[in-house]
Amino acid sequence: MSRTDVLNSLLVTRDTPVGYKLQSIKKKAVIQLMGSRLWGRFNPNHWDPVYAATTGLSAPIQTGEMSSAYLAEMCVNHFGAQMFSNARMVCKYVASTLANEVIVTHGVVREKTPKGNGFRFTVDIWSENEAGEKKTVGWVEVDVGV
Amino acid sequence: MMQAETIRTDALRPLSDIQIEQTREFIDSLEQGSQTYWDMVEIGDELSRELHITPELVILYADAVEDFNPWYEAWKMNTWHIKGESPFGGAIVPPVLVSHFVLSVQFDHNKPFAIGSIHTFHDSEILAPIPVGATVRIATRATDKYEKRGRRYVRHEVNVTDVENGTHYFRETRDILSL
Repeated sequence: MSRTDVLNSLLVTRDTPVGYKLQSIKKKAVIQLMGSRLWGRFNPNHWDPVYAATTGLSAPIQTGEMSSAYLAEMCVNHFGAQMFSNARMVCKYVASTLANEVIVTHGVVREKTPKGNGFRFTVDIWSENEAGEKKTVGWVEVDVGV
Repeated sequence: MMQAETIRTDALRPLSDIQIEQTREFIDSLEQGSQTYWDMVEIGDELSRELHITPELVILYADAVEDFNPWYEAWKMNTWHIKGESPFGGAIVPPVLVSHFVLSVQFDHNKPFAIGSIHTFHDSEILAPIPVGATVRIATRATDKYEKRGRRYVRHEVNVTDVENGTHYFRETRDILSL
């Protein structure tokens, strides 16, 4: 199957039920990426273990926005173009993602509210490490078939 | 908590002596003369800046989070600039990319930035797709400064619009934990 076919098979439709689980994305918090110029270079908490320790961190931490980007990738896989118009994404960074942790994203459809010819879906989203410790929690709202 | 004096600069990645020296020098330069984020921002502060979202900027963003969705590609190795393809025509910007650049509009960027602040929350509305190549205006307003469990937070409201045609692309409320 092509990439497009795979993604089309994942798309949330009007018929997708409450309780539907999105397919996870898995990423490693790689120190070289965390400290790249566009991401965390301006703040050594994101890449320097010495500086991070002086601020009480056990290791450098990812910028929260990297976690949001992972969650957004999962949502784009499932909502496609609908994720780019009149969508909402709320994220709270409840714990720091430490260098070298492997992060897995999750999503479960919580609610679908009739809207126009379709529904506005509300999906609980979160990311956690391999020990199951939650790092980011939130939700997205996306119009489907409206 | 790990003891700072026992941590090495190269604890997580291989570095030679000269790289370690350059790293320590760079971090010292960041800390010089900086104020805390809390002290740099007053409630009611309004700031705005224009950001040209070039194809290369999008690639830098997406590569670091290993998101290889072709919809975001208006630059490809060997071909270089291309129009790209997405359901909206040409290449588009990842949904929360602009959120990452808001930080640069939450304080006077001409002053030394108080390193060590941490982003803790965002409530983002993705109103319309942003074409790669657009120039957007990111406008912020500081709406609150508050303390919770001994920590200091600053809240901003954000709007992102197209400089050329006024399209309202993105709206956000976000909190930063200050040192």
